[in-house]
Amino acid sequence: MFRKKNTAGVNSDEIRAILDEKKTKMKLSLKACAHCSFCAESCFLFMGHNKDPKYMPSYKFLNSVGVLYKKKGNVDKLELGEMRDLVWERCVLCTRCYCPIGIDIPDMLALGRRICRSQGVYPQYDKE
Amino acid sequence: MALSHIFSWTFMYDFIRGPMVWISFIIFFCGVVFQVRRFMFLLKEQPVKKLEPGPGKFISRQTASHFAMDRGKTRWFKKGWFKKGPDKKDPDKKDWIVWFTVSIAGVKPFMTMVTTIFHVLLIGVPVFVLGHNILLDNAFGISMVSLPENVSDLLTGVVIVCILIFFFRRLFLDRVKIITGYEDYVFLSLAAAPFVTGYLAYHQVFSNYKLLISLHILSGELMLMAIPFTKFIHMIYMIIVRFNVAGEYSFGNARKSW
Amino acid sequence: MIKAKKKPVQEILDAISRYEKILNVGCGGCVSVCLVGGQKEVNALNAELKVHLKKAGIRKQIDGYTVERQCNASYLKELDNKVPAYDCIVSMACAAGVQHMAQRFSKIPVYPLVNTAAIGVDKDLGMYEENCRACGHCVLGYTGGICPVTRCAKGLFNGPCGGTNGDNCEISNEIPCAWLDIYKRLKNQGRLDDIIKVRPHMEWQNQSPRTIIQEPYERRYLV
Repeated sequence: MFRKKNTAGVNSDEIRAILDEKKTKMKLSLKACAHCSFCAESCFLFMGHNKDPKYMPSYKFLNSVGVLYKKKGNVDKLELGEMRDLVWERCVLCTRCYCPIGIDIPDMLALGRRICRSQGVYPQYDKE
Repeated sequence: MALSHIFSWTFMYDFIRGPMVWISFIIFFCGVVFQVRRFMFLLKEQPVKKLEPGPGKFISRQTASHFAMDRGKTRWFKKGWFKKGPDKKDPDKKDWIVWFTVSIAGVKPFMTMVTTIFHVLLIGVPVFVLGHNILLDNAFGISMVSLPENVSDLLTGVVIVCILIFFFRRLFLDRVKIITGYEDYVFLSLAAAPFVTGYLAYHQVFSNYKLLISLHILSGELMLMAIPFTKFIHMIYMIIVRFNVAGEYSFGNARKSW
Repeated sequence: MIKAKKKPVQEILDAISRYEKILNVGCGGCVSVCLVGGQKEVNALNAELKVHLKKAGIRKQIDGYTVERQCNASYLKELDNKVPAYDCIVSMACAAGVQHMAQRFSKIPVYPLVNTAAIGVDKDLGMYEENCRACGHCVLGYTGGICPVTRCAKGLFNGPCGGTNGDNCEISNEIPCAWLDIYKRLKNQGRLDDIIKVRPHMEWQNQSPRTIIQEPYERRYLV
């Protein structure tokens, strides 16, 4: 919590501009999430990783896009790296996630990916 | 100053029972209308393009097969192949069973049942309980049909049990705990408060009826006011999105998109 | 997934020769996974092109941007307000993505930067093998999981031709005869009946672009 932020290499204004584009929809969706975890079984990665709660769609978007909105885009490279692992390692954007409330989860994760990409953070398929 | 002392202030008691009720309902309705307008503004109708038979529209269908055993059935190069639409059969029982099995009710039957009962009663009990209808009748001369008091008592107990299930689930199940924040516990308590205080007040469990009934009214008002501005908005969000936005899980003729 | 191969640099330079402001759009889908069209490759190609152009003394503005996928319109929305600033788009996505982009941005020329090669599997890092030609009528169950359309040079359906060259196809000594492999595998599983029956040939269904509608959605789209 008291880790010193290293804001080098991250353009928070750029992140905020992208966050602002979809602010209404994203913030409403984040607010409407009832934290019920009913989305879990619809994710094949959750089912395939022994029902590890870190693969739940709600966990994924709350800890990527949710964190970005909460911090208003003021994230550092380390946090973006954690987000990179979350939105690329734990999700393939197959868009089959179910939400009883109807939240568009794939869109949120796609926004998370877009923000990471805008800061030069992307998956490295040629590294093991 | 003790809580009971504060609530026995005539002004406080009258304020909660009087103007505050109006204020909370007004905030509730205005807030909900505001949020609904925000949602609907974001949604746009997307026309669905219907495919008509015509040249260059090969629709890959399983019925056309080249295996010897399928010879004789309609082949893709024969005339009239396009004219036949898919067999518009009435959905039969097997389809419903399959749909049900893969839906959330099939995947998590117990929780689906608990949450459905909870939400139905959450709205149903306050609307149909006798006490509220007497008040409405006194105030406006109109009222809904009322439940017998022992039934509404039992249903309040059911709601409280459901809330306890939610509470323990949030406390002990890893998958829910990991996404839970303090606000989840706060709002769960806020949802429970009207029912618990109502039950305690009705049964006159504590000697200070006035205190309990004031808490009951106040908690109801707080909950109403909290609906448009907190996660309780999922009540409206769900109806709008599931019935309007086109997607795999949408109901009915959902045609709009974000 | 779809596998693609990058076009030779000279071809790319010829394609962009007439334009001054070029947007290089990458794709985070299949071409990213097969290491030819993702964000890293977009940046690398832009740098390479700039080196070539600098050598020739030409100055152009080449920017890069990667979208999630180019085959889905919802992911192309974020390009809508960027594209008008350019007079040419080059896309590193597969041909499906290129066509989708060309349709959406029909007022500007769109050039492909990769040759879409195949639906294939990953053999090793950077090496892929074609396995499927999307004929639309899969018979893999009867041929022991080996596709006669893709692997047999003549696309035969009922056994090898007379031109087998030992274990190999008559085309080359390096291409094993698909039907021999099919025979061996089915013999191992005791399923030779499946190929002993004479089967009708593949009725090619892909001369005209096919529209595929999943069964639960047929009522929604079919008249």
